Amino acid sequence: MDAALESPAPPATVLAIDGISKQFGGRPALEEVTLDVKAGEVHCLLGENGAGKSTLCNIVFGVHRPDAGHLRLGGQRFLPVGPAHALASGVAMVHQHFSLVGNMTALENMLLGRARGRSLALADMAKRVRHLSEEYGLEVNLERPVEDLSVGERQRVEVLRCLLDGPQLLVLDEPTAVLPPREVGALLEICRRLAARGCGLVLVTHKLAEIAEIAHRTTVLRRGRVVETVTMAGAGTDLRALVRAMVGREVKPLEIARATPQIAAVEARASADQKEDEALRLDGLVVKDGAGATRLDLSLTVRRGEIVGVAGVEGNGQSQLGAVLAGLLAPSAGKVLVGGADVTGKPPRELSRLGVGIVPEDRHAVGCHLPLSVAENLLLGDLSAYTRFGLLRRDRMAATAMARMEANDIRAAGPDAPMSSLSGGNQQKVVLARELALDPLVFLLAAQPTRGLDVGAVEAVYTEIRKACDRGAGVLLVSSELDELLAVADRVLVIYRGRIVGELPAHPQHKDAVGTLMSGQVAAVAA
Amino acid sequence: MSDIADVALGAAGLTRARRLPVERLLPLGALVGSLAVGLVLVRATGVPLRDALAAFWEGVGGSEFAMVGSLNRGVPLALVGLGYILAERANLTNVGGEGQICMGGIFSAAASLSWGAGKLPGPLAFLFPLLAGTAAGALWGALAGLLKARRGSNEVITTLLLTFIALQMVYGSVQSVHLLRQPMTDSATLPESLEIPSVTQLPVLTKDSGLPLHVGLVIELLVAGVVAVGLARSAIGLELRAVGLNETASRRAGLPVERLVIGALAASGALGGLAGAVMVQGDQHYLTAGFSSGFGFDGLVVGLLARGSAVGVVAFALLFGCLRSGGMSMEMSASVPSAIVVVCQGVMVVAMATAAAYSRRRPA
Repeated sequence: MDAALESPAPPATVLAIDGISKQFGGRPALEEVTLDVKAGEVHCLLGENGAGKSTLCNIVFGVHRPDAGHLRLGGQRFLPVGPAHALASGVAMVHQHFSLVGNMTALENMLLGRARGRSLALADMAKRVRHLSEEYGLEVNLERPVEDLSVGERQRVEVLRCLLDGPQLLVLDEPTAVLPPREVGALLEICRRLAARGCGLVLVTHKLAEIAEIAHRTTVLRRGRVVETVTMAGAGTDLRALVRAMVGREVKPLEIARATPQIAAVEARASADQKEDEALRLDGLVVKDGAGATRLDLSLTVRRGEIVGVAGVEGNGQSQLGAVLAGLLAPSAGKVLVGGADVTGKPPRELSRLGVGIVPEDRHAVGCHLPLSVAENLLLGDLSAYTRFGLLRRDRMAATAMARMEANDIRAAGPDAPMSSLSGGNQQKVVLARELALDPLVFLLAAQPTRGLDVGAVEAVYTEIRKACDRGAGVLLVSSELDELLAVADRVLVIYRGRIVGELPAHPQHKDAVGTLMSGQVAAVAA
Repeated sequence: MSDIADVALGAAGLTRARRLPVERLLPLGALVGSLAVGLVLVRATGVPLRDALAAFWEGVGGSEFAMVGSLNRGVPLALVGLGYILAERANLTNVGGEGQICMGGIFSAAASLSWGAGKLPGPLAFLFPLLAGTAAGALWGALAGLLKARRGSNEVITTLLLTFIALQMVYGSVQSVHLLRQPMTDSATLPESLEIPSVTQLPVLTKDSGLPLHVGLVIELLVAGVVAVGLARSAIGLELRAVGLNETASRRAGLPVERLVIGALAASGALGGLAGAVMVQGDQHYLTAGFSSGFGFDGLVVGLLARGSAVGVVAFALLFGCLRSGGMSMEMSASVPSAIVVVCQGVMVVAMATAAAYSRRRPA
């Protein structure tokens, strides 16, 4: 492989996608998509949610079969009948949602499917994995169960597992959506090294900065069709043109959208009788894990009409904070006060009644029921208002759901469409719509609300969050997207190993300071 | 024929319009195939197929009396099966139908014999024991639900273990005259209860003809209707489904998850208890050790095959009632072991499950 890199011959085409079409239930997901990936190339796929990026990846990886068109891998006709076939042919994929067994260790996960007919060669595998992780700078604790690892670590396990096969083509479906900024850089570096070794990479992402940094070429998909394939010219590339191609219209940057609601928020705060009305107060909140280690230990206050950002590298207590606020985890010590009332340890139903809205970080596992319809998801906690003699009044449910879908710009086939048929952005809008419908709404937790969403959806989600703020609710915004936090929040708290290690007013010029605090270097900032 | 196909399809969770013909016919093929296995086994016993089948038919529907027997046998199977699909909606597996039947039987007999149900006016005389049995079954199911909600114990294990306790409780209750055993007149007095008063026995629908078709069938159809409508259209049906799909998301959405889990298993157990009461008050008329004779486990299979459909439960209960009647008749008049029927049922479960899994694997 290294020899191929040194030769000056033009790079060979690893993967050629020729006129691929695919329908799901009569709706076209992909229409005559044609593109190619060269050896040593990072080819980015850009597009809104539902544009067909994941479908295309899944076809290449053999999860779906195309209805028309064909693939060529290294010049040969290639029609993978399943992921195992794709893997054996040298195509590896890192999925958007991880495919790891939670209660097995990272090492055991890597052995899965590789130990057929042989004894479990754990020691050999450990040696191979360590070698690879050193070579690519992928730091992973191999001995702990995957469920105890942070999201970033889990992803490194996924990537390592792919590298074990020495693939000629690696597909990464939104790999950076779940990563903190520092690790994004590390992942891009790994991609670069892989490409340098002659591996072809397909990288699905929403983040333009990453594309500008790493892509050799970018293909923009919109509604299942290729809009254009652009050869990137480094810093000189017109990223705005890419966004326009992707969304089909001009998108305002977040900074511009901010101005008006902020004024409204200030007015809302002023009208609250100047009494510094507290929406949320956490008093000495401590959460310990099963082993007795402290995962969270903090106090904070969110006033009404205020957006407080919580910045931090993922796995520093944000999940525990979210679970406590959602009423899904009882704190080991401390108090949670909402609007002045002690709500510590209250169940979710009670919290909702008291005006605590929650947008959980894991949309699929906690936020909604994918197989249920949009209407059912919106009204599940409040079905008693839609029954007569215990039977559901589906017509009323549909009417209410329609009204909320319109008010929140949720795009779905209808109120009866299953949640799973919606794009990620619209799923998130359903979750938001449900929580924003609470009356009263005193406090809203938005945990990683834009994870995996495209530019257009990000804008819509923050518009909705600002609405809550304008109604006088206090918002706690937990995110690992520094740029978004600094653009949206009023002030930013930095969380590190479960503790608040700093507070800064949200201003783009503080980005470096926040970033340093996130990595745990408190002294450096204080000095 | 097409009716049977519809039932089988509905039972396998398929709808006629959407599937390819091959997949539509799969469950039906599984059904026919497992019956064919039964025929092969009968042939292997050396009894002429003709004689065996004649005996089988004699038991199933050869006479009005046989037909009524098959119908009556289907009732407890259907009730247990309905309980099974109720819990299944919340992704809970109640395998304790047998134990719930036992509890229902004990308390129905106790209410009839010791708690003065016989002195109650009108239909209360048989309704009170039915309710007592239902409540006892509900308690047995709720115990498993409580363990699940509070301690996270797997309900498959707890309902099964509670079954063994209940089976021994039936045995114990008919061993002592202080409990339900009939008065000891001599050393040969059997360890069973007295016959329950006739007013506490289930009224017979066909009074004049002398056929003992009791109101159990009416109860079965009523319960099936309630379960079908409840699962498809009630708020609780949707809440149970949500809990079954994702407990954490349901809790976050504000559903009382623990209460729903306990309630689902209690309701499921209640139908098992009702089945036990119907067996005691319907055709057995006294309590005896082992009176449940596997109806709870057969009912579980009925629920399993019905795949969430109440109509499917009623249909499979009828089929299994017939198989039981036919098998018994085959054993008595043609000396073919009735265990073949059990083998047949087992093959049916495996075949139908395979067919369903195969249909699912194909993209919709």
